[in-house]
Amino acid sequence: MNFCLYSSLQEEYIDIRRQVRTWLRSGLISEDQMQAFFGETDPGLYQTNLFFRVLFFVFTLLCACAVTGLFVWLMEKAGNKILAMVVLFFGIFYFILSEHLVKMRRLYRYGIEEALLMAGMVCFVVSFLLWINNYHLNHKTISIAVCLLFSVISGLIYLRFGYLYAAVISLAAVCIIPYQLSLPPVAERVILFCVLCSIFIFSLIADKRENENFRKERYTKMQTCLLVAIYLTVNLQIPGLAWLFIVEKGNIHDLSKIYPQYLYWISYVLTFLIPAAGILWGIKSRKRLVLNAGLVVACATLATNKSYLGMTRYAWDPAILGIVLVVLSIMVHRWLDSGPEQKKQGFTAVNLLKPEDRGISLGDAAAAMTAGAIADQQPGVKQDSFFEDGKSGGGGASRHF
Amino acid sequence: MTFPGLLKKMRDEQKINAGQAGLLLDLYERRIIPVHRELRFFLYFGVLLIVAGAGLTIRQYFIHLGDIAIIASLTLCCAAAFVYCFWKGSPFSRREVTSPSIAFDYVLFFGCALFSMDIAYVEMQFHILGDGWKNYLLISFALFIFLAYRFDNRLVLSLALSTLAAWFGFSLASRRFFSFSEYYRVYAIIYALIVMGMGILTNRVAVKKHFFDIYFNFAVHFLCIALIAGVAEYKILSLYFPALLITCVGLAFYSARVRKFIYMLYAVIYGYLGVSIVAVDWIHRETFLIFAYFIVTSLLVIGFIFKMSRQFREDQ
Repeated sequence: MNFCLYSSLQEEYIDIRRQVRTWLRSGLISEDQMQAFFGETDPGLYQTNLFFRVLFFVFTLLCACAVTGLFVWLMEKAGNKILAMVVLFFGIFYFILSEHLVKMRRLYRYGIEEALLMAGMVCFVVSFLLWINNYHLNHKTISIAVCLLFSVISGLIYLRFGYLYAAVISLAAVCIIPYQLSLPPVAERVILFCVLCSIFIFSLIADKRENENFRKERYTKMQTCLLVAIYLTVNLQIPGLAWLFIVEKGNIHDLSKIYPQYLYWISYVLTFLIPAAGILWGIKSRKRLVLNAGLVVACATLATNKSYLGMTRYAWDPAILGIVLVVLSIMVHRWLDSGPEQKKQGFTAVNLLKPEDRGISLGDAAAAMTAGAIADQQPGVKQDSFFEDGKSGGGGASRHF
Repeated sequence: MTFPGLLKKMRDEQKINAGQAGLLLDLYERRIIPVHRELRFFLYFGVLLIVAGAGLTIRQYFIHLGDIAIIASLTLCCAAAFVYCFWKGSPFSRREVTSPSIAFDYVLFFGCALFSMDIAYVEMQFHILGDGWKNYLLISFALFIFLAYRFDNRLVLSLALSTLAAWFGFSLASRRFFSFSEYYRVYAIIYALIVMGMGILTNRVAVKKHFFDIYFNFAVHFLCIALIAGVAEYKILSLYFPALLITCVGLAFYSARVRKFIYMLYAVIYGYLGVSIVAVDWIHRETFLIFAYFIVTSLLVIGFIFKMSRQFREDQ
């Protein structure tokens, strides 16, 4: 039984069309050839571009919130139970409407039906909260129930509509639950690790060789998210690293004292094993996203290594990591280029597939930020009083403008 | 029909040749995986980390290292980067030029970032430009613009435009961007107009036309945020409101004309924000009207975008 609203063939055709557009952009096929592909792969669904999708999502969500808010405001004095019923009604209405839009209007990732589903999900949870409010339950129980509800509803949305972010919401909600159980930190991490590993193994079993391409891609994305989630659970120094960006201090807590020694060092070993496994598995199974995730978490391992070993951090540590990355990238590039047809084991450094040009990229934005960051890093720069006293932070100095 | 079946059919009908079919099947079935983007990402990330590390080291240890060591090492590194770029770089062309190597763009960016750091440090320690100390940013801007055009580097162009913004008084340290005072609002508008002018000029004379989007993005954000800040302060009683409306309508038309829908996103979001600030102020304290306003206007926007999306379906 297929619970999904879209057939496998429709999804397969959409996946082919997406790839065909990339091939056209990269000059691998001509416009006529693209039209020929499109002629053979009509999914019978309406799609829109990313920017219209974002606009549809934002304004549908705004509209849904305003409609629900209006009714809640009108029935404010009716009591929690009636309000819960009203909000629940809207939740059901939004779900039915989004189903209708997909079935009758044949929308696919259009933004409208997605926003309705998100609004419906929130309505369900709010309705539950309003209803449960009468029973005076403790905060912990309510938090767990809300997380479970979010997890179940978003999981069902994923199964029905195939939105990967719904699966991620479901996963995130599950990840929060162990932290609501008032368990010792060790137990929280171990339970979370076990849950994530179970889901990961389940996804591996479901990811069969004979699956369609789009399904394989979807599983790859989920496995990538799970790999990163497992890594974040295992690496005990990640919160410290994040904190470092805010207050520029080393170990905020000595984690080796909070966690038992054996667990601390097992987690240290795992911070190396998980990236290594991710990279190897990504290469072997030709899963590009898994490979990328493996490389990114490997960088995180290098960044947290000193914290694990209790070594002093120096200001030049990022530069050393940067040099390592640059050298490795150039070496890998040269190694791939030296192979027959500039390929080694199916991997190539040739720019075969060009990304879509959206006017400005994240790289351009990061470059733009660099100027400000450099100015702010100069010795003696006072950052907080920038606009208030007429000083210029752009210049980086603290003299009067 | 599966993709291999489809390819076979198209090959039989001679719509694609055998070489193409082989390559497309290899890409589809992941027998060939291009990792060009990943390598570029790690190179760029590495360069950013090196720049960040150098900046942190100078900030933390400038007393121990001494001025000469800092200035000499920064100068040496950026000079080496620039020499490498002039040595290896392709000749200037008015059109888009492919980088001679994967690392080339990042070497130039690295050199420019270190130059910024170097000149800022020199000025901070020795006050060479005296009261006109901010002009070192203009020097950096001029150099970066030259290098961006000479070597066709979008990253350096972004760096140049943000350096110009810093000269106008905007930087990452300014955390109150949306509520900036009249003084900075006017500067933001002037900055946006100058950047837009530069973009239009270079586009007209057909020099690196592909840079236009970067100019346009910088100009649009600075202009719209400044105008919205003005609308938030004066509501409808100023030129900010009509100026914002004209900007957003122009942006929407431009977006439809060039089929770049990111500008439609900007136009709708900034326009709606500006109109909503005025409208909510108008219907102050009338809760029912506020809800009604958001319901009606969001439905109108959805209708408008829906019409647009159907009109441009062939581009999607």
